[in-house]
Amino acid sequence: MKIVVCVKQVPGTTEVSIDPETKRLIREGVSIEMNPFDTYALEQGILLKEKHGGELVVLSMGPKRAELTLREAIACGADRGVLLNGRPLGGSDTYATSYILSQGIKKIKDVNLVICGKQAVDGDTAQVGPGIAAHLGWPQVTYVSKFIESGESELKLERMHESGSDVSVVELPAVLTVLKDVNIPRIPTLKGRLNSRKVDITIWDETDLETDSEKIGLGGSPTRVVSTRKPDARDKHTIVLKGSASDSARELMKILKTRLEL
Amino acid sequence: MSGNYNMFHVEVLPPRQDVEDLEVRLERFATRYKRVLDAGYCACITDNAMGNMSFQGTEIIEEYDLPVDAVNVMIHLNTFHSKNVLDNILKSCIDRGIKYLLVISGDGNVRFPKLKPADLGIQGVSSVTAVELLQYINREYTGSFHNGVAFNPYEPEEEEHEKMMKKIDAGAEFVITQPIIDSNPIVDKLISEIDLPVMVEAWMSKKLHLLSDCVGYDIPEDTEYDPIESLKNLQTNYPSGGVYLAMMNYKRQFNLLSEIGRA
Amino acid sequence: MKLSELDRADNYNDVWVLGEIAEGKVHRVTLELLGKAKDLAEKRISAGSKVVCLLLGHQLDGLEKELFSHHADKVIIVDDEALKFFNDSIHASVVTRLVNKYKPEIMISGATSKGRSLMPLVAVKLETGLTADCTGLEIDEDSGLLLQTRPAYGGNIIATIKCEDYRPQMSTVRQGVFKVQPEDVSGTGELISEFVLDEEKQTSLTVLSEEGLDGESRINLHDANVIVTGGRGVKNADGFKVIHDLADAVGGAVGASRATIDSGWISYSHQVGQTGLTVQPEVYIACGVSGQIQHLVGMQSSDFIIAINKDPDAPIMHLADVAIVGDLFEVIPEITKLLSN
Repeated sequence: MKIVVCVKQVPGTTEVSIDPETKRLIREGVSIEMNPFDTYALEQGILLKEKHGGELVVLSMGPKRAELTLREAIACGADRGVLLNGRPLGGSDTYATSYILSQGIKKIKDVNLVICGKQAVDGDTAQVGPGIAAHLGWPQVTYVSKFIESGESELKLERMHESGSDVSVVELPAVLTVLKDVNIPRIPTLKGRLNSRKVDITIWDETDLETDSEKIGLGGSPTRVVSTRKPDARDKHTIVLKGSASDSARELMKILKTRLEL
Repeated sequence: MSGNYNMFHVEVLPPRQDVEDLEVRLERFATRYKRVLDAGYCACITDNAMGNMSFQGTEIIEEYDLPVDAVNVMIHLNTFHSKNVLDNILKSCIDRGIKYLLVISGDGNVRFPKLKPADLGIQGVSSVTAVELLQYINREYTGSFHNGVAFNPYEPEEEEHEKMMKKIDAGAEFVITQPIIDSNPIVDKLISEIDLPVMVEAWMSKKLHLLSDCVGYDIPEDTEYDPIESLKNLQTNYPSGGVYLAMMNYKRQFNLLSEIGRA
Repeated sequence: MKLSELDRADNYNDVWVLGEIAEGKVHRVTLELLGKAKDLAEKRISAGSKVVCLLLGHQLDGLEKELFSHHADKVIIVDDEALKFFNDSIHASVVTRLVNKYKPEIMISGATSKGRSLMPLVAVKLETGLTADCTGLEIDEDSGLLLQTRPAYGGNIIATIKCEDYRPQMSTVRQGVFKVQPEDVSGTGELISEFVLDEEKQTSLTVLSEEGLDGESRINLHDANVIVTGGRGVKNADGFKVIHDLADAVGGAVGASRATIDSGWISYSHQVGQTGLTVQPEVYIACGVSGQIQHLVGMQSSDFIIAINKDPDAPIMHLADVAIVGDLFEVIPEITKLLSN
């Protein structure tokens, strides 16, 4: 099996700032981490590799600092890491991002499975996984909650929806997005970390990827952020109750009764 | 040593996983660790303190083949592990001859797995705390370890007392308190009420305000504080228990310890 | 498609709702979105915009009535056994073909797990943009473009997004963001039948079976009129007992903030917030919740918000209708007591 797991490096805190020109995230000066959902994708890749043999490559698109996240993935058990990095790639929306990642996957060659986390906690769109499937022309199975059976050429998967679950069989190559239900991600070991510091990370830019310049970056993004603002404060009057617990409870009951009568 | 906790327990923090100069930090850990053991103190190694992804004490001891003196090494163990990793840590301790564990609930992080009651074969609780972890260790690794627990004099008294009783029921053999300054009446009460050795924790950093999170109220940033003086006072006030030293400055304070030292 | 001289914006008309079926009936989110689509179409009346609902599935007879009564002007039904289960490949092929055929200007769908799987697949096949989890949709007065609003960057920012040069403009919206508009039982419209092509049925993905959730595992936060949520102030798993007691006393559901899930005090199915559920109950009682933006985003549309917190300046205390300053372990039992009487 040749598996690619897509990982994203995301801010570790929620205090981020926005570049007023591009309306994009400024990543400087905040702690960083592997997107939590991607840790599940990575663990699944490792488990499948342990079972079927083959190679596990982690792929990320981002600034140079994303190398750290790729090394963390290698410390957990990936064989090698590839970073897609270049000025023209920046500012991409999910359409352009999934295009760029799919070019990376094509360049890695002979891949038969792509696994992504459900969504990134900084963008929250959950669009990149399906976007990759569409660009590659491969089937997708999203919201995977369990790997019922796995084989060299097909997978039997359980998937969760809000309203229930389903079981499907997909022939490889395919793109999957996984939920937290699917496994328990391992923490890198000391040996793994020491090892990962010796591995070279491959870096490809837009020329290496042979991307169509019209499909990348801000210019290649069909959607554009036109403005941002702080969330509204609700236009209302808050009743503050500061007394004893029993007094506050009684006051609350009075307020609720009045409200119900209206 | 079993039963004699009356010594310095010095905290040695493993490096965080994401540090740039990892090899340097590991060397530093090994040096400090050996220094503590050579001085006749007990090295206490934390487990992902404050929810920061770090390395396990057992991993570093194995990788660097650090010496273990059964009475002079204590490992913290918290509930934020997969069952697999938990058992590996415990087996590694047994292999290496580590006998002292500080069993705590610990600080979590989105990245860490968390033990579930079903993992430990325990029913009737919705989540795993130090109590359930203790029960598991004593059940599955009977007689292998001397397990200690934490006590927080800054939490609501009744709740904390109840928790302590559960911990004792589950087999706790010693107690380490949260950092206290000079003395603390709630700790005094605990010592008078229970039959186990109680070690008080000394805050060895001049920056007393960093203790705010622990104690649950704001300590002003410029509060005057002399940790060495406080340590001396702790020894005077708690002569029969041991002292646990947190946030110690190895460069400036380690050598002073032998002067303050215990018998 | 990217707009060009040969394929201009005025080729694309109408507001489409990509409908969803749940348990043999029209999903509530589809009804919510039809109401919103009506608003949007009214603002695009100059372009002769209509509301069209596209529904894929099997044994859909009669479902169009509810779509018409909820303001669809046109309903396109694709009823085929191949669509019985949710097969992303087949659904995406059919939707893509029909969008290319009819050329809607706007297409919206529920941000359910199915919507969030299908829409991005279709958007890339159509070479157009998609904005997920919109909390607001408006028509820009000057340009007639769809203005898509959503929280971003962990919810600290509300972003407005446009898809200017590509069509259709696509968005997904979570259930509960828009309210179902009053029904017009006499509503009627044009019903169109479309089909699945044989080649669309040949896929390497086969869905074998589907199952609904059993009663226990489905925490009905969506349907609850009252939600009682525990936050970090609950302190540990045992602390949730008072939350459960209060929820039981009011016949409500138990919610949880992300911090409590991360600490393992309660399971993920209770999570309210940006990476959990968005809810819109009549009463939301936040206990020991600080009110970080990611949580507020999940419950700010609640009709009436009560917050209990030791800290009078916790963000949620400023959002609440009633802010009780106190220890939740003292206050909640008092409330529960009064309610039980």
